[in-house]
Amino acid sequence: MIKEIMDSSFLEEVEKQEGVVVVDFWAAWCGPCKMLAPVVEELSNEIPGVKFGKVNVDNNPQISQNFRIASIPTIMVFKDGNVIDTMVGFRPKSELENMIKKHI
Amino acid sequence: MKRYDIAIIGSGPAGLSAAINSKIRNKDIIVFGYKDFSSKLVKAPKINNYLGFHDISGIELKEKFEEHINAMNVELTYERVNNIYAMGDYFSIMVNETMYEAKAVIITTGIEYTKPLKGEEEFLGRGVGYCATCDAPLYRDKVVTVIGYNKEAEEEANYVSELASKLYYVPMYKDHYDLRENIEVVNEKPVDIVGDDRVQKLIMTSREIETQGVFVLKDSISPAQLVPGLLMEDGHIKVDRTMKTNIEGCFAAGDCIGKPYQYIKAAGEGLIAALSAVSYLDSKK
Repeated sequence: MIKEIMDSSFLEEVEKQEGVVVVDFWAAWCGPCKMLAPVVEELSNEIPGVKFGKVNVDNNPQISQNFRIASIPTIMVFKDGNVIDTMVGFRPKSELENMIKKHI
Repeated sequence: MKRYDIAIIGSGPAGLSAAINSKIRNKDIIVFGYKDFSSKLVKAPKINNYLGFHDISGIELKEKFEEHINAMNVELTYERVNNIYAMGDYFSIMVNETMYEAKAVIITTGIEYTKPLKGEEEFLGRGVGYCATCDAPLYRDKVVTVIGYNKEAEEEANYVSELASKLYYVPMYKDHYDLRENIEVVNEKPVDIVGDDRVQKLIMTSREIETQGVFVLKDSISPAQLVPGLLMEDGHIKVDRTMKTNIEGCFAAGDCIGKPYQYIKAAGEGLIAALSAVSYLDSKK
């Protein structure tokens, strides 16, 4: 399951969370984002103990600005509230899976 | 949506050889390519090292290939593939507005792509992008530079200029440019993209411009951009002896996997790639 995260809820949902949180920065007009979405969705069901969220960059400029998102899709992995890994652009499922599992 | 067994990207000797061998194995295939098959092939004046065809011209060899694929009912799809996404169990193949799906993919795109600029790969996703229309909204009210290798880039530049505070257009070809008035055309050769953790400047032969975004819009793209996540080595796709890449279900053959750049080597590799794709499909059943 993927939780929709907003500017207003980011602190609570991501930065104050213990453990690993995966955040998918996306927008409706971005083709590769649409392709990556089902891959992230699958992983969210397959990897237990990791929280998955998504941020629509159009509706949440504050967070996108803070994390200096310059290209989407961007996947960020947070651990105990800090960014520990970033992946820009579409990546195959196996690669994304390895990146996340590395941090569990 | 229809899901093909194998999608073959490219219609040079590697792609066509992969196509006929996949067809012999009764696979449902789609082959993306050009009417001329390969611009390199039709340009060759004389070929003496293709076994069985002594003293043949590139055009004659192309005609032989054509007879062969026609006899085997291999059809080409004359469309340009923009991106191939490895979804896990299958591949999504994007062609402008259309999408195709295949269980396995064979990349045989040859080697024609332009070398990246200095700093281009380093700043990819941190100011450098390849799809202006995709990322333009992220550069609202910022200074953006478009390095255009073809006419189509002008259209993208026009679109981005509606959002950016300032747009520089660096044409890599000579023509009349159909650009909006507020776009500044810079007739210089780009040398280096520099910055700290983000792009800050584009350095050219006799001028530097401050810019927050650089879009590089080329004719042909490198395999790693075509298939995000594909592992390269020294400018070629990394494969093993069975033509397998680092992505499961994705194979490659021909010039794009390395030297020597020769027709019969490409055809041989296309055969191996096809057989590997067939056994991959069989193992999935």
